[in-house]
Amino acid sequence: MSGVSPRSPEAILEWASTVQSTSDRIVRRLTGEYHEDEWGFDEEFTEAVFPIFEFLYSTWWRVQVEGAANVPGHGRALLVANHSGAIFPFDATMIATAIQKEHPLPRWVRAMVLNWAFDLPFVSYLLRRLGGVAANPANLGRLLEEDQPVMVFPEGQKGFGKSFADRYRLERFGRGGFVEVALEAGAPIVPVAVVGAEEIYPKLGESKPLARVLGSPYVPITPTFPWLGPLGLLPLPSRWRIEFLEPIDLSGYGPGSSEDKSLVFDLSEQVREQIQEALYRGLVKRGPAFL
Amino acid sequence: MSGKRIVIAGVSTRWGSELARTLQRRSDVGEIIGIDSTPPESDLGGTEFIEVDIRNPVISKILPTLEPDVLVHCGIVWYPEEGRPSRALHDINVIGTLQLLAACEKTPGLEALVVRGSAAIYGSAPGAPAFFTEDMARHYPLVTRFQRDIGELEGYFDNFARRRPDITCCMLRFQVEVGPGLDTPFNRYLNLPVVPTRMGFDPRLQLLHVDDATGALAAATLNPVRGAVNVAPDGAISLSRLLRLCGRTAVGVPPIVVGVINRRISNYLGSADLYRDGELLLRYGRGCDNRRLREEIGYELAFDSEGTARDFARTAHGVQALFPSPHPGSPVRSVPR
Repeated sequence: MSGVSPRSPEAILEWASTVQSTSDRIVRRLTGEYHEDEWGFDEEFTEAVFPIFEFLYSTWWRVQVEGAANVPGHGRALLVANHSGAIFPFDATMIATAIQKEHPLPRWVRAMVLNWAFDLPFVSYLLRRLGGVAANPANLGRLLEEDQPVMVFPEGQKGFGKSFADRYRLERFGRGGFVEVALEAGAPIVPVAVVGAEEIYPKLGESKPLARVLGSPYVPITPTFPWLGPLGLLPLPSRWRIEFLEPIDLSGYGPGSSEDKSLVFDLSEQVREQIQEALYRGLVKRGPAFL
Repeated sequence: MSGKRIVIAGVSTRWGSELARTLQRRSDVGEIIGIDSTPPESDLGGTEFIEVDIRNPVISKILPTLEPDVLVHCGIVWYPEEGRPSRALHDINVIGTLQLLAACEKTPGLEALVVRGSAAIYGSAPGAPAFFTEDMARHYPLVTRFQRDIGELEGYFDNFARRRPDITCCMLRFQVEVGPGLDTPFNRYLNLPVVPTRMGFDPRLQLLHVDDATGALAAATLNPVRGAVNVAPDGAISLSRLLRLCGRTAVGVPPIVVGVINRRISNYLGSADLYRDGELLLRYGRGCDNRRLREEIGYELAFDSEGTARDFARTAHGVQALFPSPHPGSPVRSVPR
């Protein structure tokens, strides 16, 4: 309570102006008068749904953040993180939220999204409006050339769909494609370790027949999904910890270095090891998963 | 030095006529000769017209006598039009281009060949690059008939360009054109009183303004570069925002009936059995990189995707064509209400 009684004229006026600005905004949206960038990212929409992520961030998962200032405040940057989630990539949304809330110069981070997500109704345009872009080297390179911060999950599908027993054990980092693009663009790599996202949907197994029906690469089975139906999509309230590590500067390698396979693999392995170590550290620091 | 002699194949198409009119206004252009199988509907002023079908081998005898410096091929047809039914499109597009290339072989002194092709060669796919560059053609399998036709004729074109390095061969890949006075199935789609969209999908589109489409074609004719060039505007716009800007009501069509509805709508819009191209475009969208157009051909685009949408919205109000025009290819009529 701010000392103003809910029936006072000030409160009524304030309420009226809120109603007016909201209705103005709705009319503006309905007539198409809003901005959308060339990738389909809709900042206004993202800001409108941001309170949901803020709630999940502060209350539901009680996210602790370390080293947010390691993300460059301007210019290109490639954030490389471990992937998990099994049903919905909440780890990506929480990394973006962490930067919004903890970084001195917050920016919206674009995410490289698995291609098949863009074949799913509703999910496809939701992800795009929130800054998701189909994961391929052309898109990543172009975003970095535009001096945007981008996050990638090199484990890809394998990491996203790993079973609960394998939690926090990093999968292979693809073929190191992200390092090639970062070398070409001269973008620093910021390794990110996310602890907590593995417990939100503990994946016990998967259903091949359901996957075939839905046309998705796999359908996870968790203690609650699909048994409780849509209610099973509610993520468990685990405790999270996100650590942004020191950026790795790649600008010294010079042009043509992206074709050096051994350099690419070394860097990719270096990033992977740093994230893996940070995960083990983070697990100890976090303590019990839910309490 | 007098200007170049330019031959425009397919001069009776909208784009051929527009190109002829644009080039006439330039002082650095010499004679302009138009060829097509039917005479142009509108007066082309100083452009000489020769009635010949490019599918007919006789073109190999006629073209050398015209002594062109530059040949522009505008005869590739996207949609069925009056006198060009959909089953004839393969013949017109592929065989026509093949005959024209054969005629070019026999034409000494030809400096440049410019083809008005399509960005359909890139396809529309869920995980596609947001901006296709020219080297990404055939990145995805060519799934529709029109795509396969474009793929085939680009194949012949590439072969020709390799065989004849003395000729500057330029393949222009056009994005979807939108604008006042244009009557293509896509423009008719935007003019529907209620616009059906695929439920759960909101494609990113690039809308090329009609003025830019003609301007870029003229710029490429006067300054052709080797290889493929995307003719696409800056930026992109989502279908939902485009429809809102135009004040249209969008209705999401559920997946179960989408096939039937799309086929119906497509017949109604006059794209007949080419509906698959539109269906994919309106599901996944497509974006192209335009750096080659801007930097190498040196064309300054007047409209970006949003600007085109706003221009269309400004001019399209009141043009609620409840029934498709009886003469597809003619300018959109205003229906008095």
